[in-house]
Amino acid sequence: MLAEKYTTEIQTILAKYPPEERRAAVMPLLYLVQRDQLYVDRHSMSEIAEILGISTTEVASVVGFYSLYYDQPGGKYRIQVCTDLPCALRGAEQFMEQLCQRLGIKPGETTSDGLFTVEPVMCLASCDKAPMFQVQSGGGLAYYEDQTVENALALIEQLRTEAASKGSAKRKDEYE
Amino acid sequence: MTKLVTLTIDGMQVSVPEGTLVVDAAKKIGIEIPVFCYHPKMEPVGMCRMCLVEIGRPVIDRSTGQPVLEDDGSPKIQFSPNLETACTTPVGAGMVVLGATEKARSGREDIIEFLLTSHPLDCPICDKGGECPLQNLTIKYGSGQSRYLYDEKKHFVKHVSLGELIFLDRERCIQCGRCVRFQSEIVDDPVIGFFHRGRALEIVTYSNPGFDSYFSGNTTDICPVGALTTADFRFGARPWELNKAASICNHCPVGCNLTMNVRREAASGGDWVVKRVMPRQNESVNEIWVCDKGRFGYHFAASSSNDQTSFKRLSQPLVRKNAGSDHPGELVPASWDEALSVVSERFAEAGDGLLALAGGRLANEDLFNLKQLTTTLGGEAVLYTHMAGGELTTQLGIQPGSDIGTMGQGDAILVVACDLMEEAPIWWLRVKQAAERGSQLIILNSRSTKLDQAAAFVLRYPFGAETSAVLAMLNALSEKRLRLPEAVQVLERDPTLQAAAEVFSGANNALIMYGSDCIGLTESQALAQACANLLDATGHVGRPNNGLLGVWPRANDQGAWELGFQTQTKLEDALGAAAALYIVAADPAGDDPTYLGQSGFGGKAFVVVQDLYLTQTARLADVVLPAQSWIERDGSFTSGERRAQRFYPVIPPRTAPVSRAESPSTNKAPLLIAGDEVMESPLPDFAITAMITLRIDSEARITASSAARVFNQMAETVPAFSDQTYLELAQVHEQWPIVGRDDLYYGGTSYENTGGLGMQLALNTSDTPSTTRLAGTTVEFIRMPKLGQIAFPIARLYDRGKTLMPSQLLHERIGEPYIVLNVNDAEMLRIQDGDVVHMTVANREPDSPDRVTTGQTVVVQARLDQELPERVVLVPRSFGIPIDKPTPVEIRRTE
Repeated sequence: MLAEKYTTEIQTILAKYPPEERRAAVMPLLYLVQRDQLYVDRHSMSEIAEILGISTTEVASVVGFYSLYYDQPGGKYRIQVCTDLPCALRGAEQFMEQLCQRLGIKPGETTSDGLFTVEPVMCLASCDKAPMFQVQSGGGLAYYEDQTVENALALIEQLRTEAASKGSAKRKDEYE
Repeated sequence: MTKLVTLTIDGMQVSVPEGTLVVDAAKKIGIEIPVFCYHPKMEPVGMCRMCLVEIGRPVIDRSTGQPVLEDDGSPKIQFSPNLETACTTPVGAGMVVLGATEKARSGREDIIEFLLTSHPLDCPICDKGGECPLQNLTIKYGSGQSRYLYDEKKHFVKHVSLGELIFLDRERCIQCGRCVRFQSEIVDDPVIGFFHRGRALEIVTYSNPGFDSYFSGNTTDICPVGALTTADFRFGARPWELNKAASICNHCPVGCNLTMNVRREAASGGDWVVKRVMPRQNESVNEIWVCDKGRFGYHFAASSSNDQTSFKRLSQPLVRKNAGSDHPGELVPASWDEALSVVSERFAEAGDGLLALAGGRLANEDLFNLKQLTTTLGGEAVLYTHMAGGELTTQLGIQPGSDIGTMGQGDAILVVACDLMEEAPIWWLRVKQAAERGSQLIILNSRSTKLDQAAAFVLRYPFGAETSAVLAMLNALSEKRLRLPEAVQVLERDPTLQAAAEVFSGANNALIMYGSDCIGLTESQALAQACANLLDATGHVGRPNNGLLGVWPRANDQGAWELGFQTQTKLEDALGAAAALYIVAADPAGDDPTYLGQSGFGGKAFVVVQDLYLTQTARLADVVLPAQSWIERDGSFTSGERRAQRFYPVIPPRTAPVSRAESPSTNKAPLLIAGDEVMESPLPDFAITAMITLRIDSEARITASSAARVFNQMAETVPAFSDQTYLELAQVHEQWPIVGRDDLYYGGTSYENTGGLGMQLALNTSDTPSTTRLAGTTVEFIRMPKLGQIAFPIARLYDRGKTLMPSQLLHERIGEPYIVLNVNDAEMLRIQDGDVVHMTVANREPDSPDRVTTGQTVVVQARLDQELPERVVLVPRSFGIPIDKPTPVEIRRTE
């Protein structure tokens, strides 16, 4: 239950908005859920809707609109590669294809250890430094620019080691 | 006056109010600018880009502020290099709009091509085919050739149920957002939304239970493609096979204008079948909308005697025969001649002992003839209802020229004891919109309702104190204060009440809409009187957009009030005392077994029931007369806004196989000469009543021949109708927005009104309003008992009434009988949410509210509510639970 688990966080978020514009808090609340469970399930959408006094469908629409929110579980790290036109001109499409091949997955799929999901996204505003991607995890967002497949794989290896050493028990520390 | 702006569109000059959009300005002079996403009832979004035009604006010299002139003296016009969207651009003075140029045409062709890149070519099986804006505009603006890459066609799910009423075909959706915008902008019920972006965008609902909105059907009218279809009509027929007939909704007092689409079907043995119900534009009534009850709840009227369900229609008269002292006999099919002679003979014997009990779903003509019958005999004409005060609405009601759609800034609307969303959804919409335009909306109720969200003032009174609450408002405005019960003293001191009263008093125009939320007949009479006093004291009477409006339970209750029908507080006694009962379109015995009385229904009275079905009451009758439903004949209803509106025959009357054993009499009424087939079939209510009356008194001023003649006779006799003729009710004038012509892309598939806009009735000024009756008297109110609960009746749009249950599609929405209990009461009674409980109804007229005597017991589901006060139980009306006024009850858990 969101309201019980994050009582203070929710209060802090709601306090930032005038009470009659409570619905404006939908994005930070969604982010709160996603940091916790790496995606937003339907039940949490309903809970957020109830907190904000809007319909669940409206909350879902926000999740659907932004590529940073997920309504399905995926890897612990989401690797979002920009494949829009300028990036594609700098080889982003081949980059993503090869990266996926090396990881043994198709775009949109998750590695067998459940750690990495690779997916194409629209513009991330870093056209001149393509190929580039962002990694989203419980810890937040990070940009990686001017990438090669080797670079990317090295990063993935590093993240994999970190994940293994930390273990799930310490996961909560990452957020703080 | 708003400032007018003059511009030129395709060479034609037009002057329109400042702020008008180019697309609307063009529509006004008959120039077509195609649109998909734009809709004249909604804010423009410019999403589809179909309305591309070239726009030129006069060049203004910055130093002088004057227009720059060409050599020939005409203003210099500068065109923007790109095409612009006519739907998002407001008009400007001197603007030049070109929509018929090659550039604009080619822009639109491109847009059509984009839209078609992934649109399926399933027009041959698409319900929208034939009335599809995309289909029509493709023919008109699309390229004849397709550059469409079949291999890259996107495939999506084609049958997504957004709820059991509306289906989505994802492939057909062109993402115009009209449905999503309608739900959030117009009806404030955002239960459908967009999900994802771009090509992947889809319409979804994450709400539970799905697309459950009382207005959901309207989205299928404004959908410019076949993406949204109703479960009722999908795959049912092609639009071009359908005939149409103008009708009026029979479910609530709003009187929404409808068009019914019909065709003959092999599946129904060649019978005419209603395929769908569509809104028909009447901007003063329902605009271009209709609620789902009106759209999907027509089946009762169209059912036939071949119906295998319990809603089998009566096909011929029945007369009770072989009755003896020890057995009741049985109802045997009879000829009209036989039935009418029995009835007229017995009614004549009864004389002034005749009581005619009429239901409010009858037409004006039926009610008028009933009244003529009782007048002829000296009997009594009673309206079967739980809500009184109608005579006040004929004196202090709203008058010609009134239109909630014109109320706005400076006006006020007070809604008392009413859950508009459940009682009359389109009025909810109209009042909400009036509030959005600036009307001060004041709500007085004992519990929260959906309309609260739109209100400027929300005031609560304790359950049962509605009249006192209205008088408290009056007290706030007058020096001479009425002494009010303690229960409303908190409310009386509330500064919000003071403020609301002042706003109401100071408003240019003010309406009071009162309903029957949590009250019964006696209470509603007192409430109406209090409202009348408030209107009179604040001068809000006798002018358009001022006065008292009853939110009646039935479509034509207003007509009954205008025609002088009365209510009967002790109906069970009156039924028992009458010598003869003529019960038309009412089922008291089915609604409440109390009416059965000690010695059976109606005591020793001769009972005639005239109805569509063999109701519970009909089963107990001596004679049963089969009536036509309103869609099988013509006539008129009077809406709660006192607008008389005509409905037309939609399907021919059902004829039934005739028993040849009965030889037709030589003494036939003229109407019945048509042949044996018609002879024993249902007839219009007004005709049956007239034939009975004429058999009693052949000189009686009553006619069976046509609704038109009855109406015109009514106009001669009844002052309220004196300004009207049947013909004039059928008059129309042009309405804005223009809908339903060839340009379905603009307003959707709502029909243009060609059947008549109706006319509002004049106020009855002959009787002096009895507005001082309550002054100085002690106001009765319901006292909460120390023990047990009091059940308060509430309205639910989807109820288990006889006029809705034949619509199978709505069953899931209707649900099972239930009551709503306070959580603390429930805890005390060891009842949990969803438990099945026994509710025992106490004696209907208890000497003391604390005393609970055993009455009828019903088994219902309990729902818990935290907001309800203790001891209050809410009981939905027409759910088979015999509670039509605040009633003490005892509740226990079912072991």
